Amino acid sequence: MTIVVAHTATPEGAAALAAAVDAAVLRRSPVVVVSGEDPTAPPTVEDLLAGSETLARTVRDAGVSVEVRRSALPDAPDAVLQAAQELEAELLVIGVRRRSPVGKLFLGSTAQRILLDAQAPVLAVKA
Amino acid sequence: MVDAALSALGSLAQPSLLVMLLIGVVAGLVMGLIPGLGGTGAVAILIPVTFGMEPEQAFALLIGALAVVHTSDTVSAVLLGAPGSASASVTMLDGYSMARQGQAKRALSLAFLSSMAGGIIGAIGLTLAIPLARPLVLSFASPELFMLTVLGVALAAVLSRGNVVKGVLAGLLGLLLGMVGTSPTTAEERFTFGSLFLSDGLSLVAVALGVFGLAEIATRVGQRRAPSTPITLEGGWFSGIREWLTHWTQVIRGSLIGIWAGVLPGVGATAGTWLAYGQAVATSKDKRKFGKGDPRGIVGPESANNSVEAGDLIPTLLFGIPGGVPSAMLLGMLLTYGIQPGPAIVSEHLNLLYLIIWCFAIASVVGAFLCFLGTPTLAKLTKVPFAVLGPGLLVVMLLGAFQESGQLGDLWVMVVLGVVGWLMKATDTPRAPFLIGFVLAIPMERYYYLTSSLNDGVGWLARPWVIVFLAVLVGPALWALFKWARGRRALAADDRHGPTAELAVHEEESEEGFLKDSPWSLGLAVAATFVFVAGFVASTGFSPEARLLPQLVCAVGLAFALVLLGKEVVGRTRWQPSGEAVRSAVLVATKTFALMAVFLVLVMVLGYLAAVLLFVPAYLLWMARARPRTTVIYGAALGTLLLVLPSLIPVDLPTGLLG
Repeated sequence: MTIVVAHTATPEGAAALAAAVDAAVLRRSPVVVVSGEDPTAPPTVEDLLAGSETLARTVRDAGVSVEVRRSALPDAPDAVLQAAQELEAELLVIGVRRRSPVGKLFLGSTAQRILLDAQAPVLAVKA
Repeated sequence: MVDAALSALGSLAQPSLLVMLLIGVVAGLVMGLIPGLGGTGAVAILIPVTFGMEPEQAFALLIGALAVVHTSDTVSAVLLGAPGSASASVTMLDGYSMARQGQAKRALSLAFLSSMAGGIIGAIGLTLAIPLARPLVLSFASPELFMLTVLGVALAAVLSRGNVVKGVLAGLLGLLLGMVGTSPTTAEERFTFGSLFLSDGLSLVAVALGVFGLAEIATRVGQRRAPSTPITLEGGWFSGIREWLTHWTQVIRGSLIGIWAGVLPGVGATAGTWLAYGQAVATSKDKRKFGKGDPRGIVGPESANNSVEAGDLIPTLLFGIPGGVPSAMLLGMLLTYGIQPGPAIVSEHLNLLYLIIWCFAIASVVGAFLCFLGTPTLAKLTKVPFAVLGPGLLVVMLLGAFQESGQLGDLWVMVVLGVVGWLMKATDTPRAPFLIGFVLAIPMERYYYLTSSLNDGVGWLARPWVIVFLAVLVGPALWALFKWARGRRALAADDRHGPTAELAVHEEESEEGFLKDSPWSLGLAVAATFVFVAGFVASTGFSPEARLLPQLVCAVGLAFALVLLGKEVVGRTRWQPSGEAVRSAVLVATKTFALMAVFLVLVMVLGYLAAVLLFVPAYLLWMARARPRTTVIYGAALGTLLLVLPSLIPVDLPTGLLG
C-alpha cells in the first residue's frame, strides 16, 4: 500500500508533500513522489526535504519511507496516474491552486486530469 | 475531379515515374536511418538530383522519399535506443523497451504497419481536403495570399517553440535573408554588396542544407554512442501483424492527430508524434505498461509521424503556407517550376496534385514492405558511428548544393549558414521559422505589391478572409500580452498542459539548447540587433518600392531583438559556467566547421575529386579514428562514386585552379 504524491516546486506542491507525509504516518505506508513538472527529471529526496525543517524532522522521527520515482512519460498527469496504477496506491495526493473563473475555462489542469482519471482516492490540498 | 485522380494514377504507369518513386523510397529509407537528416535532409539532398527533370518525375522522387523517412527511423530507435530523428524518440520509449524484452520484431512490425497506415490515411486526408478547400482557395486573390504568407511565417514562429521571441526573430532573419538578391518588383539589387553571385539570391538548397544539414553534422560528429547490449532480431513477424489489427482505433486516431498537426504551419512530425503519444496514454484506462513496452505506445505515434508529412502538404500545396520544413522546400521547388500553390495548382495543375497524393500512398506501402524485407540490412547500417558517416554526408551535401548554380560561393554560404544553424540550435532558437521565412520572402513581397497596385488604398483590409487571417495573426499575440499584463509572468506547472502548450515541443531539434542563457545566446541577440540595424540602414539606399518590405522587416526585427536582448540580460543571472561536456561540444563543432572550410579551400585549388580523396581519408584517420582498412575502402568507394556519378545523372563536379 503506497501513497503517491504529485510534487511541484510551488507552495501547493510543498503542501501536498506535507499532507502525504502526515497521511503516511497515520497509515504506516511508504510515500512515492512523482514530479508534477517534469516526471523524467524529478528532484532528489534531499531536495524535497531541504525545503522544510519540520517535514524533515517528521520523516526522520516517524520513520516514513520517502522515495522519488522517475518516469519514462514526460506528461505529468499520465506519469502520476501510471505510478498510482502500478504501485496500487491507496491514496493520491495533489496540490491545487486557486483559479479565477476565466482561468478555469481556458487553461488545462494537471490536478483536474488526475482527479478525474484516478482509480484511487485523491486528496487535494491547498497551500 | 475523379477523372483527374484517375488520370494521375494512370500516368504513374509510366516506368520512368515508377522508377523515380522507387529510387525516392529507397533513398528516403536510407536517409531516415541516418541521425539528424530526417525529412529535411532527405528532401534537401534529393532536390539537386531533380534539376532538369520534369515536375512529375521530380515530385515522384521527392514525395517517395518524404513519405517513408519516418518509417525507417524507427529501426535505430528500436534496435539501438538511438532515434534517427526527433520524432522517433517517441517510438523509442516503448519500442526499445519491447526490444529489450526480446520482442524487437514485434515492435518493428507494429511500427512499420502503423507507418504504412499513417501514410495511406494521410494521403486520403489530403485527397478529401482538396474538394473542401478548392472553393475557398479559388476565391483567394492577392490580398488573401499575402496574408497567408505573413500567417505562414508568424504561425511557424509561434508554434515551433515555447520561446516565441526567438522564433519570431528567426522568422524575420529568414525573411531578410530571402530578400538578398534582386527585388521582384523593381529589379534592383538588394543587399548584394556589388557581388554578382549574390544578385541571384541565395540558393534554397544551400541554405537548407547549411542550416539543418551541416549544423547537424557538427553536432553529432563528436557524439560517441554508449555501447549498449546488442539486441537480436527475435520473434516472428506474423504475430505482430495480427496484433496490429486489434489496435486499429489507435491507428486511426494517431493518423488523424498527425494530419491535424501537419496542417498547422511549422508544427511537424515531432510535435504530432508526441501529441499522439500523449493522447494514447491519456485515453487508456491501464497506463501501467506505457514506457515499458506497451504496443499502444508505438502504434498511434508511428501512424501520426507518417501522416504528419501528408498533413504538411495540405497547407503547402493548397494555400502556399509551408506546413513544415520539408514542405517549405517542396514549396520552393514548386515555385522554381513556376507552379504557384493555391489557386493555380488547384485549377491548372490538378493532375500534379493527385500524382503527389498517389505517390505518397504508394510510397508508404512500398516503404513498409521494403522495411520488412530489409530490416537486417537496415539494422547493420545503424551501427555505423556517425563520425564515419559524417564526411561522406558532407561530400554529398556540398555536391548537391553546388548543382544549382555551379558556383563555389554557394558552398561557402552553406558553411557560414551551418555555423549560424549550429548557434541557433545550441541557443534554443528554432530554425524552422528561419527557413520558412526564407522561402516565403519573395512571394510575400510579390503578393504585397500586387495587392497594393490592384487595390486603391487599404480597402483590401476589409475583405472577409483578410480579417479572419488578421484575427488569427493578432489574436493570440494580444491574448498573450493580456495574460502577461495581468501578472501571470511565470507559467505555472498546471498551465503547461493546455492544448497550445502541448504543441510547444522541440521541432526538428532533439537536444536541449545547451548554450541557452549563456553569453553565446546574448551574443546572438546582439548580432541580430546589429543585422537588423544594418539592414535598415542599407535599405534606405533603395527606391521606395524596393525598400518597403526590408525596412518593415528590419524595424519589427529590431523591436524583437531588443526585447530578446532585454530578456537575455535579465537571464544572465541564471547561467552557470559551462561544464566539460558543453566545452567539448563547442570545440568539436569549431573543429568540424574549420575542417569544412579547409575542405572548401582544397576544392577551390584542387577540384572536387582530388579534394575528396585527400580530405576524407585524412578526416577519417584523424578525427574519426577509423581503422586504416575502413578508410581505404571508404575513400575508394567515394572516389569511384564521384567518378561514375556524372555519367549517371547530370551532376557537375566543382573544378579548382588545378583542375
